[in-house]
Amino acid sequence: MSFLHIDDVHKHFGETHVLKGIDIEIDKGDFLVLVGPSGCGKSTLLNMIAGLDTISEGELRLDGRRINELHPSRRDIAMVFQSYALYPSMSVAGNIGFGLEMRKVPKAERRAAIQRVAELLQIENLLSRKPGQLSGGQRQRVAMGRALVRDPQLFLFDEPLSNLDAKLRVDMRTEIKQLHQRLGTTIVYVTHDQIEAMTLATRIAVMRGGELQQLGTPQAVYDDPNNLFVAGFMGSPSMNLVPARIADRDGKLVALVEAGETTLALPIVRDREALEGWCNRQVMLGLRPEAITDPTSANRDGGEIFEADLEVELVEPTGADLYVVTRLGGISVNARMRPGSPPQPGEDTRFAFDVSRMVAFDPESEARIRTAVDADAPVQAASA
Amino acid sequence: MSAATPAARRFTPARMLLYAILLFFAVLYLLPLYVMLTTSFKTLAEIQQGNMLALPREWTAAPWREAWGSACIGLECSGVKGYFFNSIQIVVPAVLISGLLGAFNGYVLTKWRFRGHKIVFGLILFSCFIPFQIILLPMARVLGILHLANSTSGLVLVHIVYGIGFTTLFFRNFYASFPDELVRAAQLDGAGFFRIFFRILLPASVPIIVVTVIWQFTNVWNDFLFGVSFASGDSAPITVALNNLVNSSTGVKAYNVNMAAAMVAAVPTLIVYILAGKYFLRGLMSGSVKG
Repeated sequence: MSFLHIDDVHKHFGETHVLKGIDIEIDKGDFLVLVGPSGCGKSTLLNMIAGLDTISEGELRLDGRRINELHPSRRDIAMVFQSYALYPSMSVAGNIGFGLEMRKVPKAERRAAIQRVAELLQIENLLSRKPGQLSGGQRQRVAMGRALVRDPQLFLFDEPLSNLDAKLRVDMRTEIKQLHQRLGTTIVYVTHDQIEAMTLATRIAVMRGGELQQLGTPQAVYDDPNNLFVAGFMGSPSMNLVPARIADRDGKLVALVEAGETTLALPIVRDREALEGWCNRQVMLGLRPEAITDPTSANRDGGEIFEADLEVELVEPTGADLYVVTRLGGISVNARMRPGSPPQPGEDTRFAFDVSRMVAFDPESEARIRTAVDADAPVQAASA
Repeated sequence: MSAATPAARRFTPARMLLYAILLFFAVLYLLPLYVMLTTSFKTLAEIQQGNMLALPREWTAAPWREAWGSACIGLECSGVKGYFFNSIQIVVPAVLISGLLGAFNGYVLTKWRFRGHKIVFGLILFSCFIPFQIILLPMARVLGILHLANSTSGLVLVHIVYGIGFTTLFFRNFYASFPDELVRAAQLDGAGFFRIFFRILLPASVPIIVVTVIWQFTNVWNDFLFGVSFASGDSAPITVALNNLVNSSTGVKAYNVNMAAAMVAAVPTLIVYILAGKYFLRGLMSGSVKG
């Protein structure tokens, strides 16, 4: 039985249907990240789990127990807020201990608990300070301390890193991950940052417009997206989405992609059975930038490599990688190549396509075209 | 801006002119206070022959003693001290209760929003713009029904009711800039409606409390119209007593006593300003910029 079960949950605000039946199950110790663009309903869902928003329809179960009607303070849940929401007139120790004080925990016990959490988060020297005297990162830690001290069944994080500067955000991200590994807590985490989602999660739930687009392990969501939205939203730089036509060439199924004067015939490897039905029809091909490389970098053990000479439109070195832009199907396509000897814009260079990683989408419904056997895999993907 | 500019700018002619004008108006503004103070320390004889702006030749505290303890107001000759304490008895509860109610209103209107909260706030705000004169007759009737006519408690009630509009406005705007997440965090921590207010919001409200106290204190202390309408005789506040003192002197006008009594009436508000003034501006800013 799952630990947290969000069972067909709906939310209406007056006429607007904000959440349209969300189904998510996670196990104890899971790190679930709700990710999506703003307005997708992820924060609303989090607030509903916390009990700060009412549930219009459906059921929330925590450890087998229905919690729809339970007051927030009785759900055994702690939350870290985006603005940290530290009580401005209380010291750090007062902030961390407030929840225990409200639960009438004796003073000595309280002090020990505060001390333990302060040590864990390395904020012992800040205990007597007021929130106004702390830096952003320190406030973040105190906010986490306030959640940790109560030792709840479930932690909720509402975009906790969005108020930090870029460097600190990466550091704190690592710390949250370490904390999760060390304490084995169950976490539901909301963010609009897909990199945060990828790095932290054991389960990602991609949401859009109040609907769940895909639920799965980070790798499954990344490699095996359910639809065009998930494909475009996850990953940075994002997946190349190129219009193509499926065709039968001498008994081999290929995707025809226009490349300047010529046409590439990329062999179909994945979802071949499903794509047979799409012969002579338009599809949208999805290829990650790292699946298009130079011939020497290409991964030849895993799959089938297709090579072609194409004109270079732009070169973007990032230091670790070299992004080479070319044009396929009238669209700029990003390829990730080995840095060192960059090709010149305007010249032709050899590209290697890892076609075994190529996915296809229905351009009308935006849904993934895949063989039925795979269809269930990403949704209930076992832990990778 | 370079470091040299402030120093250079200090001596430009435009600056000098500006300072001169400011100084002129400051002096003009303080002149009545100066005349009041000096006159209150002069003997009556000196006032009648002397220059109004001159310092006393012979300093005397007798006018202050008389104003405080033995000047005649109406038929009674025991000075303004009784009325001074009347005013204290009116101001303290009126300020505390209207402030607390305003704080509660502000808390509910921002953190526990209900259907129609905007209309309720609009109506409360509207009460700030009702002229005093309009409510005199209905209020007199209400006080009569409540058996509070001609009493300090009646006057306290009037000031509380009249003050709620302003105190609510102050606290609502202040709390509007408080993140709602604070209340949510406290709810998750297990604090209830009153606990959140008294433990989290109120201790963080010092600037706006100061603004409210100064505002309410000065308004209630300086009020004359409500005092003269609803609390005559022994329960009158000091503003009314001052008026009666000035009007009831027979024969020669004892300007020095009148001035001393006026100073007595003005001192409490001055003290409040001096003690809390620097919070006043700060608090007004924080309330007005956000929300």
